[in-house]
Amino acid sequence: MSEPLPVLRVTQPNEIPDAGLALRADVVVVGSGASGAVTAYELSRAGAKVVVLEAGPYIKSTEFKEHTPTAFETLYQDHGNQSNTTGDLIVLQGKCIGGSTVVNAAVCFRPPDQVLEQWRTEHGLENLSSETLAPYFDRIEKNLSIHENEPYEVGYNGRLLLEGAKKIGIPASPTSRNVKDCALSGHCIAACRTDRKQSMLVTYLPWASELGATILSGTRAESFEVDGRRISAVNAVATEPHGRDKPVRVEADLVVVAAGPIQTPLLFQKNKIGNSSGQVGLNFACHPSLAVYGEHDHSVYGWVGASIGSHAGDIENPLRGGYLVESAMADPVSNSSSVDGGVGRDFVDFMENSKNFQSAVTLIHDHNVGRVFLDGDQKQIEYDVDDRDFESLREALRGTARMYFAVGAKRVYLPTTRRTTIESAGEIDSVINSLTNGKHKYRLTSYHPQGTMRMGADPTRSVVGPDGRCHDFDNVYVPDASLFPSSIMVNPQVTVYGLASYIADQIKARG
Amino acid sequence: MVPSIGTASVAAVSAVTLTAEERKLIETFAEAMLPTEGTALKPRSEVPIADNVARAFSLMDEPILEQVRIGLKLFDVGAIVIGFHFTRFVNLSVEKRLEYIDRWEDGIAMQRGIVDLLKKLTYLGYWQDIEAGRAIGYRGPVSVEGGVPNLGNAPMPNDESDQ
Repeated sequence: MSEPLPVLRVTQPNEIPDAGLALRADVVVVGSGASGAVTAYELSRAGAKVVVLEAGPYIKSTEFKEHTPTAFETLYQDHGNQSNTTGDLIVLQGKCIGGSTVVNAAVCFRPPDQVLEQWRTEHGLENLSSETLAPYFDRIEKNLSIHENEPYEVGYNGRLLLEGAKKIGIPASPTSRNVKDCALSGHCIAACRTDRKQSMLVTYLPWASELGATILSGTRAESFEVDGRRISAVNAVATEPHGRDKPVRVEADLVVVAAGPIQTPLLFQKNKIGNSSGQVGLNFACHPSLAVYGEHDHSVYGWVGASIGSHAGDIENPLRGGYLVESAMADPVSNSSSVDGGVGRDFVDFMENSKNFQSAVTLIHDHNVGRVFLDGDQKQIEYDVDDRDFESLREALRGTARMYFAVGAKRVYLPTTRRTTIESAGEIDSVINSLTNGKHKYRLTSYHPQGTMRMGADPTRSVVGPDGRCHDFDNVYVPDASLFPSSIMVNPQVTVYGLASYIADQIKARG
Repeated sequence: MVPSIGTASVAAVSAVTLTAEERKLIETFAEAMLPTEGTALKPRSEVPIADNVARAFSLMDEPILEQVRIGLKLFDVGAIVIGFHFTRFVNLSVEKRLEYIDRWEDGIAMQRGIVDLLKKLTYLGYWQDIEAGRAIGYRGPVSVEGGVPNLGNAPMPNDESDQ
């Protein structure tokens, strides 16, 4: 007989008494995404009584619709409408039990050595070498079934990228993903209905639950009870679907704020805590991503196969202008607005021809030029593409166009807000060189916000210390992507899982 | 329409109704941008684009929605002076509407932002229709139809060796 599978038990707002809840725990974790789930499990495994507070809803995978607009509405922060202050960069994050791990494309990279070296030399993080972190990544990769895509998982779109990269001498390979027996539905970003993606919803959260962790959905942390260098309790509000609020108070010896790179700093700012460095909310980066489409004379069916089948680019050199290109195509809603197909009949022709497009998204190592703050009650994400990063974006577009023409594309569509095409390989440089940085000129998306609670050895320049503990507190930790001192260029989930595992060990070692 | 999720844990949203002017703007914009007549695309008239845009409005935070509504109004009445049309966008011929859209695409950042927002709202309103996607070869939801079983939660990891 096989062992019964672990069960995820989640307390939803309608199960909480009207008078609210008062809980006592060893550890309270704010957020159930990549870092919150790993922390909850690791500390539960060590015998701690853990309570997890998640602001988003609990939606079971059997309720996922494989329909991106529905997923945006129900599983994403601000229903998929979260954007920068300028309004020309969509910032996508999950807001549900499991957080962004439920709606990401399952792409897995370890952080580039060059980035970890930068963290060591510029931020004093001697402890985060690739050697130190390797055992953590090894375990994560084992636990989440992370593997390089098998040939059958790489659709034609992914194979075209591999072939194009090979022809012009750009390093490329099938991408690694945290997926088990992938059904190749192509609906990763709308959430995996059949539990193939090994998100936190089907792994670390049920594992933590099985070990006794209490998990509350629809429960938004609002305030902290501060006593000197300690936080003694977290006050939250559980909200029912029709707006009825119920108070939740969790008294705990240890507080882990894992609400993500936007909500974590906002929570600190709102409570006016932990900011002796003045760095809370600063140093925001986000890997501004652009889509590029290549039109072929034959069918590609870019949405068939793994959502991300392969990647290309000099990913070991993020700090020296390297970029990453990932083969990717989603649904018609995304396709219609990722690049500009023109107006009127041109646009209709473009969409009618969708099956003939190869497509990919670009990622770069951007500088930490943004900030997250509250303007009254309103969240603001102040970020515009820096001129230095615009050069990297242009190089990524140039490289992608070259790969497309190398495999026979007859036209390349660029991610501008006004239709811009490259009609031949000979035109690549002139068209790319004509692009200039500016607001509302490009269709930018961020899938990877990061960097607003910078980790570092120097308390005057960072919010969180090398062990993940806030400099200003004795019992408050931050393990999410907000602690990245600089952007990592690659998809961040494995880095977050690894750092959260490492920080959990530091917590355990401290006793 | 967007399929209902029907779960108690999803926050309810307040329905937002488009004003008659907003509805007319979305419909005339879609008429210019999505000429589906004589193509393989699902006829535009069979997709409730304006209703779907209203649904999108209901998912926006109030301050954002307020800005969006101002932007749409500016776009509509801007035709009176921009390009010397002396009438609102909704009253222009399709040809003149496309010229006007083209002018805004090439305008200052605010104009570019507004016309891009209109495009995205219109595309969202149309392409969220599952059959509209299938008309161009997109599969749409596949797992239920294909009988793909759920794997369920992953087994507990064997962590003893790591303790």
